Amino acid sequence: MSDAIRWEGVAFAYPERERTLEGIDLGLAEGDLAVVVGSSGSGKSTLLRTVNGLVPHTSGGRFGGDVRVLGRSTREHRPRDLADVVGFVHQDPEAQFVVDHVEHDLAFVLENLGADAATMRRRVEEVLDALGIAHLRDRSPSTLSGGERQRCAIAGALASAPDVLVLDEPTSELDPQGAEDVLAAVGRLNADLGTTVLLAEHRLERVAALAHRALRVEGGRVVDDGDPAEVVAGYDGAPPVTHLGRLLGWTPLPLTVRDAQVRARQAGGGPPPPVSFPVPAPGDVVRAARAVGVRHGARVALHPTSLELRAGEVVALLGRNGAGKTTLLRALGGLRAPDEGTVEGEASVAYVPQDPNVLLFARTVRAELEETLRLRGRPDDGRVDRWLAALRLEALADRHPRSLSSGERQRVAVAAIAVGGAEVLLLDEPTRGIDAPSRAALEEAVRGHAAGGGAIVLATHDIELAARCATRVVVLGASEVVADGPARDVLSGSLFAPQVLRVLPPFLTVDEVGAALGAGTASGPER
Amino acid sequence: MRTSSRFHAVTWLLWALAGAATVQLAPSPVYVALVIGLAALVVEVHRLDTAMARAFPLLLGLGVAFALLRVVLTALTTHGVGEVLFTLPEATLPRLLGGFTVGGTVELPVVLQAAAEGFAVVGVLAVFGAFNAVVSHHELVQATPRAFHEPGLITTVGLAFVPSTMVAVQQTREADLARTGGRRVGRGRLVRQLLPVLESGMERAVHLAESMDSRGFARTRGGPRERASGWCGLAALVSLAAAFVALVGRAPRTASYLGGLGLVLLVVAVVLASQASRLTRYRPRRFTSADAGVAAAVWLAPIGLVVVDRLADPALRWATNPPAFPEFSPVVAVVIVLLGVPALLPAPRRDDGGAP
Repeated sequence: MSDAIRWEGVAFAYPERERTLEGIDLGLAEGDLAVVVGSSGSGKSTLLRTVNGLVPHTSGGRFGGDVRVLGRSTREHRPRDLADVVGFVHQDPEAQFVVDHVEHDLAFVLENLGADAATMRRRVEEVLDALGIAHLRDRSPSTLSGGERQRCAIAGALASAPDVLVLDEPTSELDPQGAEDVLAAVGRLNADLGTTVLLAEHRLERVAALAHRALRVEGGRVVDDGDPAEVVAGYDGAPPVTHLGRLLGWTPLPLTVRDAQVRARQAGGGPPPPVSFPVPAPGDVVRAARAVGVRHGARVALHPTSLELRAGEVVALLGRNGAGKTTLLRALGGLRAPDEGTVEGEASVAYVPQDPNVLLFARTVRAELEETLRLRGRPDDGRVDRWLAALRLEALADRHPRSLSSGERQRVAVAAIAVGGAEVLLLDEPTRGIDAPSRAALEEAVRGHAAGGGAIVLATHDIELAARCATRVVVLGASEVVADGPARDVLSGSLFAPQVLRVLPPFLTVDEVGAALGAGTASGPER
Repeated sequence: MRTSSRFHAVTWLLWALAGAATVQLAPSPVYVALVIGLAALVVEVHRLDTAMARAFPLLLGLGVAFALLRVVLTALTTHGVGEVLFTLPEATLPRLLGGFTVGGTVELPVVLQAAAEGFAVVGVLAVFGAFNAVVSHHELVQATPRAFHEPGLITTVGLAFVPSTMVAVQQTREADLARTGGRRVGRGRLVRQLLPVLESGMERAVHLAESMDSRGFARTRGGPRERASGWCGLAALVSLAAAFVALVGRAPRTASYLGGLGLVLLVVAVVLASQASRLTRYRPRRFTSADAGVAAAVWLAPIGLVVVDRLADPALRWATNPPAFPEFSPVVAVVIVLLGVPALLPAPRRDDGGAP
């Protein structure tokens, strides 16, 4: 099989920065689906951008070596000259539409290529079907959900029938359902049309099953290349079941819940669970919503809902898009006066918005935190350093916030608001699109804040986050509370239970299994 | 959900021009109010579900603000006509700044006149706002000569940034409140709220540019026709400039020759560039007989006004000195109501997306 993409001695540095890529020698066979993994800032996005020449033609910077796509060198061909062979989709689904009408937007690339009317008509119909978006053809992209939008963006890249499709974290801004839809569509394109796919992705449990090959990029180099199961197994961002397998010494390491269940049966289960899991005693009520209802015009955004927050609690607020999570948070945070009911509580509250970009303006990360104290007229009694440390931002303290990755920005935004000293923190989708190290730092800071007597509400889609952090889980559906109780109880009864729970009930997390294993060793192991 | 309009973009353009012409021909407040009402009706019936559909209330508000400013400024600087309402302290500006008097007597006819003129501006902006709310901007781009396709597309993409920027402004304001703990801190607020909006907008623009580049935008360049078109365009500009010089130098004959030459060259440049463009258009919309009918009907309004004005001489303008209620002629009103014809032909109802 010939190579669809060939990198030869590729090295690249952005203007006035250190090397981002170095010594890349790779070939990607036609019809392959390869996933690129690596922590943020590792250079994986840059690697993807070399395929259609966005690097170096749009980015500037110093470029060495050569990339050939179906024999065409990106040195001589600009991205627009490669539009017929490479489709490119990036992570922000909002910033990819040129026309405010889905069907016409799909035809954009065909118009630019000068395709004749009959070809355009047929091709647009075909990509509408290929991605299952025919029912969206007359919609405006601004009215679509994230997952729908991203499928339209992929269709727009696919309309020219490219041989290669490059997707840069296409699901990082999406909720689980939207992400599933997008990845399923990508897998189908590869299997049915034979399109070569190069994909950067962090939902590895799903992608590992689709991919034929995985590349791990760290520090601008490809450090691991091979079978997805092997590459992913050695990686921090691997799914929880892989970590579980590593802890219990299973080989080969599982990537999916199904694999893990098979291994667990073969190995005869995990350690015996403790008689009872420690449940932290809840403190006083610090903030309460009493029968709070919110309407946006004629539409009910939240039916009357009551929620009490106690000191030391971490509440995970789960629910699909539009279930009212953000509305409830905004009401609790005092950003939206409720139309019915009241919000009570003396404790200070702060809301951290979903998009950290609406908040960051200072020149350095440290200044971003200091500015909050200045605005609140408080002295810096070491809290800036304390919060920088809590979110593991010390090494980034003098960087410009806008030069950071999205996970790092999210941490800065949380730190910049939390440093103000609010007892109750309301975090809206804090782990969306962030990598494993950022997520771990954030989880630790959340637990630390609660242990210090604060309270936290996490509005999230991330069931694993809820399993690792939350003491209590509230599920919203159709703008109402449908479940509310201790995390273990609510998650155990759920169809979408966390991975570890589905493999080794009643454990919720790998850490709990580890703790039980430690205790078990002391009293004589069973297995 | 509706993203494509009942009528062709050119029909809507003709409708908007007819509306603006009507306001110019009959600027009396009663007739302007009628035009604004008809524009609102048309928006109600034909509004699209796109981000630009909020243009109507937005531009209406802008027009009112502008009209109020105009009334205040005119009342402060125009004096000596009719009944005095009240007197303000006055100051005379130095000669260098025009030497006129600010403040002093405020007269009723001046205020009414300024308000009427301001109201006419509101009328024109209402028509323009309604046009933006009902037209598909992409269709408008597709209706231009191909030479203008790319600049037109860039303009619509730029327009699309307006609504998203407004959302960003709102979010930034809330984020700022979250930071200050709900208190409004005035110092440095502009920087705190403006920088995130500008920087995020910039990042989005870069992403969009990359997406457009990846999808082959501006792919073909530099054929011989394209170069010829460039030279023709340059020559056209030079001859138009020369025509202007000739006009200033009182040589009307030379000026008209040069001006004519410039126009011809300009047309040639556009035709050449359109032929050079290898761009094709996906499902361009046809101008149907319904479109032609509506365009003709709405243009009967301004044309009708000219005819009525000649024949019957109704008061299309409001005489404010001495103050009196503006006159109202039912014939004029009937002629103006023709602008509402598009509202009689709503889009046929259909299922969302039309797919089974």
